[in-house]
Amino acid sequence: MAVSDTPPRPTLAQRIMASEHGFLALVLAVLIVVLTLSADRFLTPANAVAILHQSSLVLIVAVGMTFLLITAEVDISVGASLAFGSCVVMAVMNETNSILLGTLAGVGFGAAVGGINAVVTTVLRVNSLIGTIAMMMMLQGGVYLFTREAVQNHHQLPLFPKIATGYVLGIPVPAIIAAAVAAVGMVVLARMRAGRLALAVGANPSAARLSGYSPERIKAVAFVVTGALTGLAAVILTSLLNAGQPTAGTGFELTVIAAVLLGGTSLMGGRGTILGTILAVLILKVIDNGIIQMRWNQDLQIIIPGIVLILALYMDQRRRGGAGG
Amino acid sequence: MKTALKTVSALAIATGLLAGGAAAQEMPERIGYIVNYATHEWYQNVIKGMEDRAAELGIEIEVIDANLDIARQVAAAEDFMARDMDVIIMTPVNEEGVVPILRRAKADDMPVVLEGNPVQGMDVLVAICDYDTGYLAGVAAGELLKEEGRDTPRVMNVGLPLLSATILRSQGFMDGIQTIYPEAEMVHDLDGGGNPDRSQEVSSAALAADSDIDVIYGINDSSALGGLQAWRAAGLPEDDLLVVGTGAEGLAFLHEMFADGPFKLEAAMFPEMIGYTSIDTAVALFQGEDLPEHVVSPTTAVNVDNVTDFYSYDGESRQIQWDAVNALEAPAQCMKYASDL
Repeated sequence: MAVSDTPPRPTLAQRIMASEHGFLALVLAVLIVVLTLSADRFLTPANAVAILHQSSLVLIVAVGMTFLLITAEVDISVGASLAFGSCVVMAVMNETNSILLGTLAGVGFGAAVGGINAVVTTVLRVNSLIGTIAMMMMLQGGVYLFTREAVQNHHQLPLFPKIATGYVLGIPVPAIIAAAVAAVGMVVLARMRAGRLALAVGANPSAARLSGYSPERIKAVAFVVTGALTGLAAVILTSLLNAGQPTAGTGFELTVIAAVLLGGTSLMGGRGTILGTILAVLILKVIDNGIIQMRWNQDLQIIIPGIVLILALYMDQRRRGGAGG
Repeated sequence: MKTALKTVSALAIATGLLAGGAAAQEMPERIGYIVNYATHEWYQNVIKGMEDRAAELGIEIEVIDANLDIARQVAAAEDFMARDMDVIIMTPVNEEGVVPILRRAKADDMPVVLEGNPVQGMDVLVAICDYDTGYLAGVAAGELLKEEGRDTPRVMNVGLPLLSATILRSQGFMDGIQTIYPEAEMVHDLDGGGNPDRSQEVSSAALAADSDIDVIYGINDSSALGGLQAWRAAGLPEDDLLVVGTGAEGLAFLHEMFADGPFKLEAAMFPEMIGYTSIDTAVALFQGEDLPEHVVSPTTAVNVDNVTDFYSYDGESRQIQWDAVNALEAPAQCMKYASDL
């Protein structure tokens, strides 16, 4: 009797586990179902809006961080840059009475920080983990040279609070901005040469150089984009808090990096997707939200994402180990 | 430490100095202050009060920031002792962590004044009464709501359960409001981390679960403002909302109170007064006066009608009004201490 060489057809569970985003989507779906059954008011429009609001700032910066990690670099200074940027945004708006100029100042400030990080990493050849920790320290100290107190809203421009608290067709404005940033990120990463170059540089910088591309230049662009998106997030944060807050952004960088890693982007570079990052941000924020809805101890908001991250990375390794052989 | 600390008011210390003690006896020349977190608005105003009072008395003051690092605080204390400062003032980063340095200071006859939280083996502490501060604000909030003919209030507490001081404030607030509304209920008890962005985030999730709230209480101004911003982000009406902050830390509460919005009450703790009193206490300790364990700095609930009695505000800066603050009477002892939790 002849034995067939055709491998057995994988089960649905195996296919979900093997899929790039299936596992994350499954985790998110399970979380939503469990929380819906456990908390009366989890599955409500108001709570959905709250989760979208809370996800927006992290997602905007996480899109940039996804590109950066794909190129095998990291930026620890985004939390400090967010806080400093918010002070710059409000100070410029107070001086100019212009939302546009305030926004440009915030984005410009973030991009400049990203630019300095790029120079430190690609020209001075300082490891980006160390270099951006140093930048974080400089920003944390520097913001208090800029202002000793929260920068209050003296311009009272009526449109300004709407950046963070406004709605379009029932969707919060920050969520729309975050969705637009994520959409652009998806297109660039999946369909454009810049995205392919980022993946190539992260996977094998020597091969990219031999192909005529400068890994340093691509990494520098990723740093600047991450910084600029942090500046954009700072504009929204300033509107949300109605002040420039030098104490804001504590631990923000860890949330962003955790989301990007949870989303399947490799810490070693060369692999990652924006869709994975979006799903991971939603998972982390649904957990955050669920802990409050369930009235659990809020220390769990720090502990549980850590556990989820380790589990996700372990499952990812197993999945890749299985796929590889 | 269940027994109440022996206390005396800040005004009594200051009066003692002005009455001639300071002039007649030797004054300290140099005082070192090790602050736990100098970048916070609260401590900036504590330092301002210290510097102003030190300048008045002709004392040189040097400030070192421990930046929430107990090792740095201990190193700074050792540095001050090595340089033979006349008195050290310290806001402990960690109550246990400074015990060894207090022992060593005692062995070296170095006078140490603690600010903020009590530590085993201390000589003297300058601090407010946290529970009383929340309690006074709770009573004022209840009275305000009663005047408006409101039903039993539902409260969202944007707290910080990590610290005994902030737990006491929240407890005091609820106990105070319940003297007017015995059925007042704490609907949300949140950990806002004392930060505006974290407070905004947790408040946002809580309001999505239940937004039928009448009062937002924050254990500091950042927490209260984070809660208020979450309320605004949720698009909820502000007409019937009362926001109560704590601390009078910087400009933010003044900005909101002058804006005629829902931020109508502040549990004011007058950081400048704490700085001022800390210097006076340091001088008294240096001169060998018999001091109580706890020098109480007064607090009160400030509303939109009397806020200008305590602080002038021009939009860019604030100025404490000493006459009004000095007229406040500090309690003989706190209603509740951390040891009672």
